Amino acid sequence: MELSDLFANLSLGFSVALSPGNVFWCLTGALVGTAIGVLPGVGPVATMALLLPTTYYLPPEGALIMLAGIYYGAQYGGSTTAILINLPGESSSVVTVLDGYQMAKQGRAGAALAISAIGSFFAGCVATIVIAVAAPPLTLVAQKFAPADYCSLMVLGLVFAIVLARGSILKAFGMVFLGMLLGLVGTDVNTGNLRYSFGISDLFDGIGFVPLVMGLFGMAEIMANMTSTERRDLVTAKVTGLMPTREDLKTSAMPILRGTVLGGFLGILPGGGAVLASFSAYTLEKKLAKDPSRFGHGAIEGVAGPEAANNAAAQTSFIPMLTLGIPSNAVMAMMIGGMMIHGIVPGPQVMQERPGLFWGMIASMWVGNLMLIVLNLPMIGLWVRMLMVPYRLLSVAILFFCCIGVYSLNNSANEVLFIAAFGLLGYLFFKLDCEPAPLLLGFILGPLLEVYMRRAMLLSRGDAMVFLERPLSLSFLVLAGLLLAIVLLPNIRKAREVAFVE
Amino acid sequence: MRRRLLLSLGGAASAAAILRNGTARAQAQNWPDRPVKLLLPYAPGGATDLMGRPWAEKLSQAFGQQFVIENRGGAGGMIGTEAAAKSPPDGYTLFFAPGATLTTLPILRKTPYDPIKSFTPIARMGDLVCGFVINPAAGPKTLHETIAYAKQNPGKLAFGSAGLGTSSQMRIEMLKFRAKVDILHVPYRGSADALNDLLPNTVQMMNEINVLPHVKAGKLILLNINYPTRHPEFPDVATLTELGLPDSDVPVWFSLLAPAGTPMAIVEKLNAKAREIAASDDMKARMRAINVVIPLQSPEQIAQHLVADIAATGNLIRDANIKLE
Amino acid sequence: MIRRIKGSQDLTAGAMFVAIGLLAIVVGRDYPLGSWQRPGTGVLPMILAWCLVGIGGVITIKGLLIRGAGLLDGVWAWRPVIMVTLAGLAFALLVNDGGLVVSMVVSMAICAAGTPETRWREFAIFSVIMVVIGVALFIKGLGMPIKVFPWN
Repeated sequence: MELSDLFANLSLGFSVALSPGNVFWCLTGALVGTAIGVLPGVGPVATMALLLPTTYYLPPEGALIMLAGIYYGAQYGGSTTAILINLPGESSSVVTVLDGYQMAKQGRAGAALAISAIGSFFAGCVATIVIAVAAPPLTLVAQKFAPADYCSLMVLGLVFAIVLARGSILKAFGMVFLGMLLGLVGTDVNTGNLRYSFGISDLFDGIGFVPLVMGLFGMAEIMANMTSTERRDLVTAKVTGLMPTREDLKTSAMPILRGTVLGGFLGILPGGGAVLASFSAYTLEKKLAKDPSRFGHGAIEGVAGPEAANNAAAQTSFIPMLTLGIPSNAVMAMMIGGMMIHGIVPGPQVMQERPGLFWGMIASMWVGNLMLIVLNLPMIGLWVRMLMVPYRLLSVAILFFCCIGVYSLNNSANEVLFIAAFGLLGYLFFKLDCEPAPLLLGFILGPLLEVYMRRAMLLSRGDAMVFLERPLSLSFLVLAGLLLAIVLLPNIRKAREVAFVE
Repeated sequence: MRRRLLLSLGGAASAAAILRNGTARAQAQNWPDRPVKLLLPYAPGGATDLMGRPWAEKLSQAFGQQFVIENRGGAGGMIGTEAAAKSPPDGYTLFFAPGATLTTLPILRKTPYDPIKSFTPIARMGDLVCGFVINPAAGPKTLHETIAYAKQNPGKLAFGSAGLGTSSQMRIEMLKFRAKVDILHVPYRGSADALNDLLPNTVQMMNEINVLPHVKAGKLILLNINYPTRHPEFPDVATLTELGLPDSDVPVWFSLLAPAGTPMAIVEKLNAKAREIAASDDMKARMRAINVVIPLQSPEQIAQHLVADIAATGNLIRDANIKLE
Repeated sequence: MIRRIKGSQDLTAGAMFVAIGLLAIVVGRDYPLGSWQRPGTGVLPMILAWCLVGIGGVITIKGLLIRGAGLLDGVWAWRPVIMVTLAGLAFALLVNDGGLVVSMVVSMAICAAGTPETRWREFAIFSVIMVVIGVALFIKGLGMPIKVFPWN
């Protein structure tokens, strides 16, 4: 593309995005998104589904700009809950919990929130430029991925789950396997057979991510905190400085940059790539750090990298939708619905036929990110003050938001029963020192791994060598093997030493 | 004494029955005096949803009451269909029914509803018009070339469907059965997922409407139309019958149903309005934009079509030996 | 006997993994395995279940041999665990028939009963605020189909 074309396109885009009406819809979307992102359990997909019919009455540009705003607004808001009350509302913020909540416990919630907003903003700006400059060529790169490559990428993702464990590696393995098993509950999409549903019809479509998280993190955390006052007094006792120090910013600069690159790339891959963004950024930072033991105990890089990665991925996941009309996740499927309500057929022709819409949406992403950081930075003080609410009241509020959040998914009271059960399980995990984060990664990636594995085997007509013959697949597997070896070797040595000493 | 008591009890019962009938009739006459729920068995944003929304809007205008879509997805449409079958037959819960939940699902698995006995047909909501497409990199450029290629290279071509038991799977099974060829069926989770593998030629063929923009852009070849008439946007592409494969179509059709026992007065009122809407130029244009054609049918015609389609699908599933596992 | 076990926490965690793995094997024993070209319903569940049994076994042995945290270290407080679980159950059972206000007040009260720190007068005021927020946000704002009161 000619540079002058790019400027012409971008100026067309900004003229659309900065029209007063569209600025208003962008702001509305960003505000609604932040609000529902902060509410545990109420996610962008459910909100967009609720608002989709009303977008019919808006102009198409305004409708899509607002829907997109809800999506990245929710990304900002989701980190807030993850950091403040240890409750990841979305799969992308599971990792933010690990160090973000630890930072909050050390009285550094303000710094964590600020770095997450700054990282997200930087990533959002870069990703917007990437989409504007290179959307079509990146689409071609994404199409180099065959089912076997995705399958191996998922294997790599599962190894990340082991790496991000803070305590025992063995238990992390167990939790990953257990999470994958939980992910397989319900109807097997390939054959229609039921698995581990025990005749309970609410399990036919599988266990939901939100009830699982609300139980394992939300409910179990309330139980644990009510048990020991010292555990949570850390959270409320001392709040130092709302803004990150110069030192914090310096430490975070490179992780934000690396997270942006990694997330921006993974976001392009349709079918589960974006899920991996925050996990892989965390793994990368933990491996690059001089002192990896700080991770899981409030390392600011563990917030900065993944937060930048997940926002970059959220942004670039628009690429296959914009250039090909292929939704890479449930949110993008909603965006496609929003287009079709206005009689716009998603596909490769949108760029030529509706340049105002196409470039307007891209420009609005930058406008939306700017609004979000302007909105969110001053809010930090307010959020941190929320931690001053006595825990005896905060816990009651968290309980309610967990319950109603789960109920809002399908208007199903039975799913609320599940969070009670997962809460008990989560408390057991807590007492047995088994971390729930690897379980969640297994839960998300397990079903994807199975789908891609079966598809690859079907397409290779039963030849398992396909995983080793494709260069992309092979390199993911080699990387997974290396990473596993790096993680395991010191542990095995240590275990042997300890055993011999005993 | 006892006899008189029984008599009077019987009298009271029949009086109550008359009263109830009377109120039912009155209810049918005033219908709709509150919002009507339109159950849709898939998630929002999909093809069914996109067809349902203009319909909900037009019906709301026609009756002066809100027709509200409620998406109840899950288990391949089974959960929403069951909910519709078990709703009260008072005309305030209607079912926007994709053909496959009635014709294919009940044959492949045990469903908690009966496609014929559980529902009363109201109106035809529209049929999807599309056909088989092939990636040009695969080689064959026409339907006959494709069939010849598949005969020479059994199992080499792969076809991506939106999932097991969907109408696109039925279409490839029908083609395989009629043309006596072997094409690998690869089930995906929805048509978007399949398209993602069709564009880089990981699978070679599909039969879903979301590929049509890519046909227009010249990236894929449309081999035929699976419909009695041609697609207005692709006037040069012949139908299956024209290409020498009559009776090889699996229709993808949608209808409006009510739980069995809904007063006929309401059904007829709805059918009349729905036909009026379907015949309007505005609705035709909006449906054409999403590759939909609406045949005008009476409730009886829909019932006949349903019975015939169930029989045809049953024959195909038996003859082609299709199982979920 | 307990004294001879060096890490009872590891031992219990290992036993838990083994138990879940065995359950998954028993329940899934009839899931079809399919073929190389079409791996069936049971392939991944069986692989995972055996991995779980294996890793659980290793953790159990570690618990027997290597000194580690004890199962009874720290406080096992049953009151919050039971009350928070009951609060979740109460919300689930009441929300459809009792409406939002009743289900909120009952579940929040049960949750508050989980800790001796609760000051009931303060809780009463707080729960009124929460109910107002809940109704405004979820019923008026997001339009969720829940009734406000039982009689609505």
